Amino acid sequence: MGKNAIEIEELEYSYGRNQVLKGVNLRVPAGSIFGFLGRNGAGKTTTIKLLLGLFRPDAGTCRVKELDSQINPIIVRRTVGYMAEDQQMYGWMRIEQIIKWVASFYPNWDEDFTSRLLEMLELPSKSKVKTLSKGQNSRLALLLALGHRPEVVILDDPTLGLDPIARKDFLRHVIDLLQSNGVTVFFSSHLLYEIEPVADHVAILDKGVIIKSAKTEQLRESIRKFIFTPKQQADFSSVPGILDLLTSGDNVSVTLEDCDEQKRAAIRRLSANGIQETALNLDEIFEVYVIGNRAKGKRE
Amino acid sequence: MPIYRQIIDQISYQVAAGVLKEGDKVPSVRELAAKLAVNQNTILKVYNELCRANVLRIERGDGTYVSSGKQTIAAAQRKKTVSNVLREAAVRAVHLDVSLEQAKELLETEYQAIKSARNKSE
Repeated sequence: MGKNAIEIEELEYSYGRNQVLKGVNLRVPAGSIFGFLGRNGAGKTTTIKLLLGLFRPDAGTCRVKELDSQINPIIVRRTVGYMAEDQQMYGWMRIEQIIKWVASFYPNWDEDFTSRLLEMLELPSKSKVKTLSKGQNSRLALLLALGHRPEVVILDDPTLGLDPIARKDFLRHVIDLLQSNGVTVFFSSHLLYEIEPVADHVAILDKGVIIKSAKTEQLRESIRKFIFTPKQQADFSSVPGILDLLTSGDNVSVTLEDCDEQKRAAIRRLSANGIQETALNLDEIFEVYVIGNRAKGKRE
Repeated sequence: MPIYRQIIDQISYQVAAGVLKEGDKVPSVRELAAKLAVNQNTILKVYNELCRANVLRIERGDGTYVSSGKQTIAAAQRKKTVSNVLREAAVRAVHLDVSLEQAKELLETEYQAIKSARNKSE
């Protein structure tokens, strides 16, 4: 078995003339909690649907646990627990009915586990789905995604529409139920502060390509902002990996990618006197990549 | 501030103030991760770092406990850690026009408060 739970290569997809994915490459290590970031309309849900073999890609491949989503879509869907964005469920069913109904699709459904989940997630089994609150609704969707004990769980914006406490509660369940059992969790979101404490890897999707994929910790460590007064005729093109450059008065603020001692020294050479170095939080990192990417697109 | 730093500070504070006493068992990595809704690797990193600072002690296969607090880190290193935090406080004091005397007084108050909380709990 490979080290990666999910592998995506050069994936392309268009809705009519609108090309949404333009060659997506992504590797999700087995056992990780992987945060898939992108703005609304970046192509997150499309990528997930291709991953599950629900759409046919224009080009490229995706594999889950080394199974091609195009060749073996049924086995892939059996391996994966999937919770759709704003998942719709039949409102007239009672919770116990919908569980039985979904279970009938999976030969490997675990009934004991499901009844334990029912208790843990505090779901009233006799209630009708249409009477559930939003929080209960997403907990039920999570239960339905996990009942067959999948090795890979894909959650598409699972906390959409939940209040902050319900969101934290939901993530708590994800960590307790999934990470503790070595399950790979791939979840998309546009809420960065939500991903930051939970994910050990993140990838940023923008305009149909992955513009960054790294360990969360590494990303935070390697991106630095420097504020200083530059020398006369300082040549910024001598420093590679500048993500953002802002001038205000005599000062410039430079954001650097993959910052190491060599780059630090190069930046120091441009400064007329002192230099101030700061780290960025995930929100700022996201912004600098996505906005930087947009600016680059305009120039080209 | 990174999340693991925040958790380190919180645990260190509780130990310093005597809320957590020597020999107390702290939650397992899994329990604390679920409670705070943070990645287990983050908690693991917190516990490892606190072990190195001798605040906690990991007993393999048993659990993690509050350590005796006997210092294994060199005095110079400990001073440096404190001085880093104080530098930040000094910057704020200058910006907000708090005099050195007032700042010293504040440090003293905080120091005494933690010490007395610790004595009370003993």
